[in-house]
Order: sequence, then C-alpha cells, then structure tokens
Amino acid sequence: MKVMLLRWAVVVLLAYFFVPWLFGANAYLMSLIVASLVIGGVALAWALLGNLGGMISFGHSAFFGVGAYVSALLAINADFPIWLAMVCGGIGALLVSVLMLPTLRLKGPYFAIAILAYAQIFRIIATEWRSLTNGVAGLSSIPSLPAVLWWESGSKISSYLIVVTLVFAFILVYRWVANSHYGLALRAMHESEDATRVVGVNSTLLKAAMLLLSACMTGMIGAFNAHYINFLEPDYAFGGVWIVIPIVAAIFGGYRTIWGPLVGAVVVYLVDQLLFKNIFPSGHQIILGIILVVMILFSPGGLLPLLTVRTRKRTC
Amino acid sequence: MIELVLQALYSGFLQGGSYALIAFGLALVFGTLKIINLAHGELVLLSAYIAYTVESRMDVNPVFAIPFALVLVCLCSVLVYYLLSFIRKDRELNSLILTYGIAIVLTNALLMIWSADVRATTSPWLQEALVFGPLASMRSELIFFLVSLILMGALWWWLARSWYGRAVRAVASNREAAKLMGIDPRLTEILSFVVAGILASFAGVALFSYGVIHPPLGEALTLKAFTITVLAGLGSIPGVMLGSILLGLAEALTVTFASSALQDLVGMILLLIVLFVLPNGLFGVTGGRG
Repeated sequence: MKVMLLRWAVVVLLAYFFVPWLFGANAYLMSLIVASLVIGGVALAWALLGNLGGMISFGHSAFFGVGAYVSALLAINADFPIWLAMVCGGIGALLVSVLMLPTLRLKGPYFAIAILAYAQIFRIIATEWRSLTNGVAGLSSIPSLPAVLWWESGSKISSYLIVVTLVFAFILVYRWVANSHYGLALRAMHESEDATRVVGVNSTLLKAAMLLLSACMTGMIGAFNAHYINFLEPDYAFGGVWIVIPIVAAIFGGYRTIWGPLVGAVVVYLVDQLLFKNIFPSGHQIILGIILVVMILFSPGGLLPLLTVRTRKRTC
Repeated sequence: MIELVLQALYSGFLQGGSYALIAFGLALVFGTLKIINLAHGELVLLSAYIAYTVESRMDVNPVFAIPFALVLVCLCSVLVYYLLSFIRKDRELNSLILTYGIAIVLTNALLMIWSADVRATTSPWLQEALVFGPLASMRSELIFFLVSLILMGALWWWLARSWYGRAVRAVASNREAAKLMGIDPRLTEILSFVVAGILASFAGVALFSYGVIHPPLGEALTLKAFTITVLAGLGSIPGVMLGSILLGLAEALTVTFASSALQDLVGMILLLIVLFVLPNGLFGVTGGRG
C-alpha cells in the first residue's frame, strides 16, 4: 500500500510539476504531449469498454465528435462557460451511447459492425446538418479553454494541466470500477456470461453502464480537444483516426491494464508524428495498421504485460 | 416523376449486381471461418485501382485489368487468411481487430501508391449511354450486371453441385462433422478466400468502370457488404442477390429524392434496422446472432 501511494505521488508530481517545469517553455513539445494525452484519454475510455465491458468498439469517433460538437456549439451559441460546455459534451456523447444501447443485444462482430455504422451515421449527420454544424466548412473560433492558476487561457500549460487532470480523473474512475464489485462481475462475465447471469448479475445492465461511461469519457476528451484547437470539421471530429489510434494504442500497450493504453497512446502517437509522418507524408497511418497486425499476431495482450511477464520470470 | 422513379429503380437494380459480388465474398468467408473480413472492401478497392492503373498506363479498356486484378487480389485475400490462421487466443475478437489492421494497411497503401485523388474511368466505350424506352444506363453498368449474374449462377452451381463447393458449405454448417467426413477444413477455408478474392476482383473492376473511387471508399464497401449479408441472412444466394438489389434500390431512391450525400446513410440505417428487428435477415436460416 505504501509503495502504491509512493508510486502515485511520484506520478502526480511528475505530471503536475516536472512536465510543465521542464517542457513548459517548448510550445512544440507541449503540443505533442497534450495531443498524446488526448489520444491516451480516448484509448483509456476505449479500453474501459474493451477490457471491463468485453466489447471491441469501432465507433469511438462518434462519441469524440459529438462531445466536441456539443461543447463547441454550446460555447459559441449559448455562451456556456467552457468547463460546463465540456461536461455537456460528455453528456451529449452519453446520450449518443444511449441510442446505441440496442447494439448490446448483438454478439462480437455484429456489435463491432453496428457501432461502426453508428460512427458513420453521426459523421454524415454532422456533415449534412449545415444549419447547426456549418457542414464541411466546420466551426472556427471556438472559445479557448479557461485559464488555470496564473497561466493564461488557451496557453499550452493550462491546456496541459486540464487534460492531465481529465486523464487522472479517468484513471481514478477506471480503477474504482475495476476494484468495485461491478468490476468483479464484469471480470466474471469474461469467463462465462451465462454463468454470471445465473448467479444473479444483470450483465446487460453492467455492459450498458460501461458503454455509457466510456462514451461520456470520450465525449469529454473530444470537448477538450475542440476548445484546445479552436476548430472543428466533421471529417476531423468524426475522423477514422479517433477509431484507429485508440485501438492501436490500447492493443499496443495492452488493454487489460490501466497504464497500457496510456503508455501505448503516448508511444504510438509520438512515433507516428515524429518519425513516420516525416518519412511518409501521406498514408503514414499504414504504420498503425502494421503495429495492430503485428501486435495481434505476436502479443495480443500488449507490450506492457509482455515486459512484466519477462521481468517476473527473471525474478523467480 | 414516374420516369424519375423508374430510372432510379433501374440504376439501383443494376448497382445491386456488383454489390452482390462484394457481399457474397464477405458472406462466404464469414460462413467458413465465422470471421468478418473487415478488409474485404479494401480488396475490392485494390482491384478497382488495378483497373485504373491498367487503363491509365496501358491505355486499354479497364476490363482487361481483370486478369491482373484476379492474381493480385486473390494473393492478398489468401495472405489475409494466412495471417488469420496464426490467431489462437480469443479468436473472434482478435481476428476482427486483425482484419481491421489489415484494412488500415491496405487503405494507406492505396493512399500512398495512388494518392487521395478521386479517380474514374475515361473510356468512352464504357460510359456510353444505352437507352431502353425511359430507362438509361451506362454500358458498363449493364455489362457488369450481366457479369455478376453469370458469376452468381456459377457460384450457385459451385456451391450446390461441385465437391469443393459442398465441402465449403459443410465446413460452414459444422466444421467438426465436416472434418470427420474427410474434408480438409484448411483447404476449404483457403478456397473460400480465393473465391472471395475472385468476386472482389470483378466487383472492383465494375466499381471503377461506372463509378468514382478514392481510398476511403473501402470501409463503406465493407459496411455495405455486411449490410447485405445481414439483410439476406446467412447462406442464401438468392437472399444475397435480393438484398444487394434492395440496397441498390434504397440508395438510388435516396439519391434521386434526397441528396447523394445521404446515400451511405440509408445503408447504415438499413443495417441497424435489420440487426435490431430482423436478426435472422430476410431469408436466413434460424440461428442466433443476438
């Protein structure tokens, strides 16, 4: 327990003090860190559904996009304070996931494809509902994020502090769910859903809760991103990248763990942006596909568990 | 007004032909391996780009690209199978993710090789209008509708009468029992991927000869094929044919009466309605997917 607390203290200290202190002056580096944390947040939300809920989603772009649009529109048209708009973005994404609830009746591949269809539907709606979303032209001059402490509104450091807080909140929620008796029931459902139902667990309700939670988290990150980059267009907000990168990150880092998706997101995003985007300007996402294929073939549990297994063997 | 409807129905009907080719490839693989090949639409698109290359480089009718497409697309299809066969743990989910990864690789490979530009055929012979009374279509639409009819007929014969076709069906309905009857399941699985590749090659060339292609199209094609498959119910050739025509009609009517941007929306909504309301499809044998 003490080791646990110490580890947390180190992580929090690193995240809140050392990163802004060391890299705060470098705007480029900070923007990379913020972007990878955004992806880390989505990957964490995806992994929550994938790991605890046992559902592979190809539709998180719907939550991300809806969260972003709801928050941006509320802030632009109704002058909502940004933090409230972001919460509403999360709620908007949650409502979208309520529409998706019928998909829970579907099994494995059928669920995945139905969710993929939903993501496409929302992208088309965002493109075609021109009076609200301004269509393909997109929304510009979305209000910036609020100021944090003495860093001005919209600065890299205040954005970083907000996103890092969001991600920490996600980690805490995830841990809380995983360690609660709901988490136990969900893990039991992995082994056998029928057996778990027999013991009296309402498995559909639990799965629904995971879907709503994951959607809400993704929506809030989407809302953050909208205010962070101040611009939205349907092909970006509902883009395939929000489906692909979280999956790759979660699979790469290992979606059965909490830190796996986060570490995976940071590594995959940085490698993609710093290395492959320079080598192949168009189609650099091919590397994401390759990572996905290689990981699934050689280590479906992710890289992080692979490393821990190795070290554990060594200590034995 | 009535001409407009008739014309829409006619184009939708013809479009249904190549949808059937795509959908049947997906359904065949799903039948034998119980896996949805999310990279199937990309294979079709690969064939379409081969047709583009043959047309633009060799300056011939894209129809002559079919042999090249057959070789390359079948190779890719078998490669997908080869990769899939490595999966041991959590087969259902992992293979879904694997084919998704392959789809990403293929989409981006297409993007890197052929760039993001929209391509269409330049052959006047294929684009020439053929008019029957109030109905007009491009020559290519009619040709490929006939081609898909012939292929579907051949496929029906193959599945119903030939030894290998029956082996594929046997593996689809009960893998273990088929094994006991002396059928090599691996061989039949490879076979189903090869046939899916053949159908995808024809569908791709058809797609290029009367439509426009661009790299993100692959995912939409996979979704359409899947829509048709669930609409038809599994294991029914007439069902796939009818489902394809139904999707083609629905899309054509949407384009005529609403907007072409909503064309894809119809397919998705159709998919969701079928999944939620008719989980066994229109012609499917009873068997749970819910």
